[in-house]
Amino acid sequence: MSNITIQQVSREFGANTALKQVNLEVREGEFFSLLGPSGCGKTTLLNIIAGFLEPTTGEVLIGGREVTDLPPYRRDIGMVFQNYALFPHLSVFENVAYGLKVRKMPRADIRKRVEESLASVRLESFAARMPHQLSGGQQQRVAIARALAIKPKVLLLDEPLSNLDAKLRKEMQSELRSLQQSVGITTVLVTHDQEEALSLSDRIGILGNGELQQLGSPLDVYRRPANRFVAEFIGQVNLIEAKAVSASGSPAGVLTYQTAQYRLASGQPLSLSAASDPALTGKESVLFMLRPERIQLSPEHASEGTNQTEIQITDVSYAGNFLRIAGTLPGGGELVIQAPDPSFTVLPEPGQTLYARWAPEDLVPLV
Amino acid sequence: MTKTKKKYRRNMFSWILLTPSLLFMGIFLILPFLLLLILSFHDVDKYMNTLSTFSLSQYIEVFTSPFYLGTIRSTLWVALLTTVICIVLAYPAAYLLVRSPNQGTRTMFYILLVSPLLTSVVIRTFAWIVILAQNGLVNEVLMKLHLINQPLTLLWNMNAVIIAYVQVMLPFAVLPIATSLGEIAPNLRQASMILGAGRLRTFVKVTLPLTIPGMISGAVIVFSLAAGSYITPLLVGGRLQPFLPLSIYQQVMQVSNLPLGAAMSLTLLLFVGIVVGVLGWILKRWEGRMNG
Ligand SMILES: Nc1ncnc2c1ncn2[C@@H]1O[C@H](COP(=O)(O)OP(=O)(O)OP(=O)(O)O)[C@@H](O)[C@H]1O
Ligand SMILES: [Mg+2]
Repeated sequence: MSNITIQQVSREFGANTALKQVNLEVREGEFFSLLGPSGCGKTTLLNIIAGFLEPTTGEVLIGGREVTDLPPYRRDIGMVFQNYALFPHLSVFENVAYGLKVRKMPRADIRKRVEESLASVRLESFAARMPHQLSGGQQQRVAIARALAIKPKVLLLDEPLSNLDAKLRKEMQSELRSLQQSVGITTVLVTHDQEEALSLSDRIGILGNGELQQLGSPLDVYRRPANRFVAEFIGQVNLIEAKAVSASGSPAGVLTYQTAQYRLASGQPLSLSAASDPALTGKESVLFMLRPERIQLSPEHASEGTNQTEIQITDVSYAGNFLRIAGTLPGGGELVIQAPDPSFTVLPEPGQTLYARWAPEDLVPLV
Repeated sequence: MTKTKKKYRRNMFSWILLTPSLLFMGIFLILPFLLLLILSFHDVDKYMNTLSTFSLSQYIEVFTSPFYLGTIRSTLWVALLTTVICIVLAYPAAYLLVRSPNQGTRTMFYILLVSPLLTSVVIRTFAWIVILAQNGLVNEVLMKLHLINQPLTLLWNMNAVIIAYVQVMLPFAVLPIATSLGEIAPNLRQASMILGAGRLRTFVKVTLPLTIPGMISGAVIVFSLAAGSYITPLLVGGRLQPFLPLSIYQQVMQVSNLPLGAAMSLTLLLFVGIVVGVLGWILKRWEGRMNG
């Protein structure tokens, strides 16, 4: 088990820069996800860790040892590929034994290790099959067993679950997580599925345009995104540009703002109250993030004040466990709202008027 | 319209599309083959006139005469040797063709490889006469370098035939190998390397086995061509070489013993058929193992 340190790694393809000065450390035994939109450089970074690509500049350390110039076959890494990459001419047993044979392990030990590995992914009875005789999920489990059989220092996974259907994917996710925890291996998962990254990882690194945008726990990146890019990439958001106003009589710890983006029936800008935050001190104009699920809907106006408004529903989509509702303010501006299924006995309809409100803490400033 | 009717219509349509090629094959392949088969069982008189009586006499001649048996043996041997050399030489070429990082280089290699096929085999073989003759390129150079005093006899033997064959047939081996190399998913090699296998081991354990289908396809083409051509052996080997297609040519065009020529043709076909059948069986087994 080892940590991975990536120092000042850049990679160019001709004129195109895939990675810019990436610095990050994956801690020992951690489940780390690299998350980002398509083309942001996730695979490039993973291939640099694995040794399939050389960084243009910078270095990679595994377990404190510099490996930048080592070929992949000297790095002692386990890797699982997107399309499994099982050797089609070898049986399941031979696939899992491949890395052990390379290491010249005695035959009896190989047999034992392969059996253990297959048992860990619950495929003991499939040893004699050929890869084409397995389902996608089974192939993926063999790929994981093959990668772990060599007891590598770190495990790299490049979108390992993206070819599986939703249900199997969920199953494999929890299986992967519990396997990782029982082995305790440092793991880097590349994915563009934010839900997968959030639910599996100890920490997440968000890549955008070849740069590391944020590094943090799932809670951090979801609740306190570092910037607009992260906020928009992880989940849906309402982004609100607002200006500070000096208001008298607001409670302690609350700052008042106005946003021209949203207007009331009178044409007045909507007033906002945000919880005071170090990021807000001395700032005139701020970009706030308001998550759709933080907005409460009710049929009646509660009282006068900030952080609430009348909205006219324009669109409702029912997703089973929640509803996604879009609405506009009387004077203009659209809000996206997500409400849990049980909050409505009868679904709201477009054209209907409802009242939205949220707490000061729900307005998260982005820097 | 019911489903079966629709299906029937679709079938009819396919048959109509197939008819021209089926007719062509019937008239120019199946029919001549049947005529050849019948001819091979006819007897001849001592003036080589074909008689109307049937017997196995031509086949008995082919399979008992030490000369013809030797000819069969050397024909198969030359074809086998040509095939093996072609596959071995074709592999690196195919590798270069597929793995060149640059698209321009790849295109250039393709053109280089395929362009010889645009000239006739006679011209390509004549080039070898120019190179291998007593006063040809090779001998001239060796003489000038004083490595030899007398010109070597490089032409008119089976070695010359094999050399010319290999050159002429190399593209037929390169193309199928290149195709199957190109079909290997790049991350299979990555998977092998990350599991600890170096480049050589990855080649032997992953790349090579996965190109077996390409090698077999190439071998089938080269072997059939090598066992069945007569122009190249005639030009660089001479008409006296113990080579079955040459013997057939002589029986038919010079001796005019048509039934014996027919029997030898079918014998050749039989042996090539056996070799191709075995190779095809191996291919099928291998692909069945990989793809079910
Ligand atoms: N071999 C290459 N040659 C040229 N450009 C490349 C090469 N590999 C990647 N790139 C470019 O580098 C950028 C990052 O690619 P990368 O494959 O790392 O993206 P990714 O984040 O893995 O995307 P995806 O989620 O679609 O897999 C892209 O703009 C891509 O076009
Ligand atoms: Mg990728």
